[in-house]
Amino acid sequence: MASSSSSEGEGRRAWVPLASRPEFAGVTPLPQDDGPSPVVAIAYRDDFRETMDYFRSLYSSRELSPRSLLLTSLAISVNPANYTVWHFRRQVLEALGADWTEELEFTEGVAKRNAKNYQLWHHRRWVAEKLGPDAASRELEFTRKIFCLDAKNYHAWSHRQWVLQALGGWEDELDYCAQLLEEDVFNNSAWNQRYFVITKSPSLGGLNAMRDSEVDYAIEAIHANPENESPWRYLRGLYNDENEAWLNDSRVHSACLRVLKAKRNFKFALSTLLDLLGLGFKPNQEIKDAITSLRTSDLGEAGSDSDLANSICSILGLEDPMRANYWTWRKQQASSSS
Amino acid sequence: MEDDRDRGLLYDSDPSSPSLSPPRPFALTFFDRERHVKFLEMMYHMLPRPYQSQEINHLTLAYFVISGLDILDALDRVHKDAVADWVLSFQAHPRSKADLDNGQFYGFHGSRSSQFPSKDNAIFTPNGSHLASTYSALAILKIVGYNLSNIDSESMLTSMRNLQQSDGSFMPIHIGAERDLRFLYCAAAICFMLNNWNGMDREKAKEYILNCQSYDGGFGLSPGSESHGGAAYCAIASLRLMGFIGDDCLSNASAPSSKANIRSLLDWSLQYGGFAKSPGVLPDLYHSYYGLAAFSILGEAGLKPLCLELGVTEAAATGL
Repeated sequence: MASSSSSEGEGRRAWVPLASRPEFAGVTPLPQDDGPSPVVAIAYRDDFRETMDYFRSLYSSRELSPRSLLLTSLAISVNPANYTVWHFRRQVLEALGADWTEELEFTEGVAKRNAKNYQLWHHRRWVAEKLGPDAASRELEFTRKIFCLDAKNYHAWSHRQWVLQALGGWEDELDYCAQLLEEDVFNNSAWNQRYFVITKSPSLGGLNAMRDSEVDYAIEAIHANPENESPWRYLRGLYNDENEAWLNDSRVHSACLRVLKAKRNFKFALSTLLDLLGLGFKPNQEIKDAITSLRTSDLGEAGSDSDLANSICSILGLEDPMRANYWTWRKQQASSSS
Repeated sequence: MEDDRDRGLLYDSDPSSPSLSPPRPFALTFFDRERHVKFLEMMYHMLPRPYQSQEINHLTLAYFVISGLDILDALDRVHKDAVADWVLSFQAHPRSKADLDNGQFYGFHGSRSSQFPSKDNAIFTPNGSHLASTYSALAILKIVGYNLSNIDSESMLTSMRNLQQSDGSFMPIHIGAERDLRFLYCAAAICFMLNNWNGMDREKAKEYILNCQSYDGGFGLSPGSESHGGAAYCAIASLRLMGFIGDDCLSNASAPSSKANIRSLLDWSLQYGGFAKSPGVLPDLYHSYYGLAAFSILGEAGLKPLCLELGVTEAAATGL
């Protein structure tokens, strides 16, 4: 099998023209036909141009050989987003009877410089599918390594979710989310994954079974960092389509009250209460007082706001000035529905 | 796009040529339209070498340049007929009506590197046409005022159905690729621009979009994925293009943002024109285009208003 792992080294060593390489003897490069009146022309470098000329030739003649495999490695190193090249590589791999484990190693090499490349991840998924459920733990480990470098790599998260659903490996996923959140409780990708696990894992019983403990988990995170938007969103998400239950879970409004009383980082506590009010929540006096005490002198007397919802919107207009227009609109919405 | 090359620097990062290293940028206090026009005009004539790694998306790069110039009301810098001819040369054509049953998509290629000369008696004519390239192609044609009824849209739309999956999502190319909201958006925009919804099942598409909505109200690129700004755009724009949400869909999002936003955008406007991803980095086409779009939305004088759903100016969208 032609060496495919040399691709990462190619760019760094001196370029040897393909025309001088014995393995490509007999290949007639096919130059690019730029067509009529080309605009937005690209200033190709010579090695790029030559590589693509050779690729065009082998691809057009459908040569599914070891040297074609090598050429795709070279082409990928200069042009990793070119899906035609990746597709040709897959055709060659199937024709030659690939070692799929070796191919996984190839993708890991490409990932070192192109961890956010769509074609790479699609190819990886294709190879993993060939290997089946046995590949699950290796794939989960691979994404774990990517997350060590970039905890929010969107492609890696997509891949991980696909692996879990197609190949399995759910057993340790909730623990993994907990670990990531211990390292960085602001990691929204980890919160998202946690929601994915509790709703989809075949071994946890689903959202209804998990809701109670997850509410406690989210509230603990909220009190540690009330300015962290993620657990607030997560908490609300636990009660999607369950408004009655959300209204009646005293832990939710108690958590809001505790944050308000601290008089710091209360943006999300206020907006949560606003949402609750919109669904018919009847706050006790303690909550009303806590809200009123947050009004600054800019806002004048509490009586100038017809009700609590208006008051909250006024406070948020000052606390969250980036969204001042939004809070004005919420105030209008609150008035028109009351 | 991880390394500096791929961020589309104006110059090669070549330590042996210090004269090519970027001068220290300074912040402007006003929107210097002429500087941005010059930047895009330069790109129109020649994209620097670092863009070769994005070669497969050549048509999309062209879209950034041409639509950017349009927003700047500087389309006079462009040879419209030449552009139209060039774009049309990327279209994939079925050899016969029978080809429309072969499962392929007959749209536009994104670049010469996915387009191969077709030989008359060839059994194998590679067809690398792609949904995103097709969107870019049609958008450019609209911008330069080309009459889209001259295109063989029938083949394009009939074959586009081959790309829609059973869950409503779209694959961008029939040889296989990832599928997510981006390509659903492309499909919707294509049907909208051609004023013909034969290319997709809108109900199924809507179902997929709704399945992409996250627990936090945002949208991910695929079901279960984290909410993402780009996905939110694709979701909402697609729903609007398909006719599922109307003008009464409230929002004050169109009102100009606070001064802080404009100031930080201006901070990123560099002396050579264009916009960069972040301070201290050279400008690239992608961020330049969306920076211009942002300023258009903010109502900057001298910039043409945008048709937000299509990603082109209103004038281009309505064909004025």
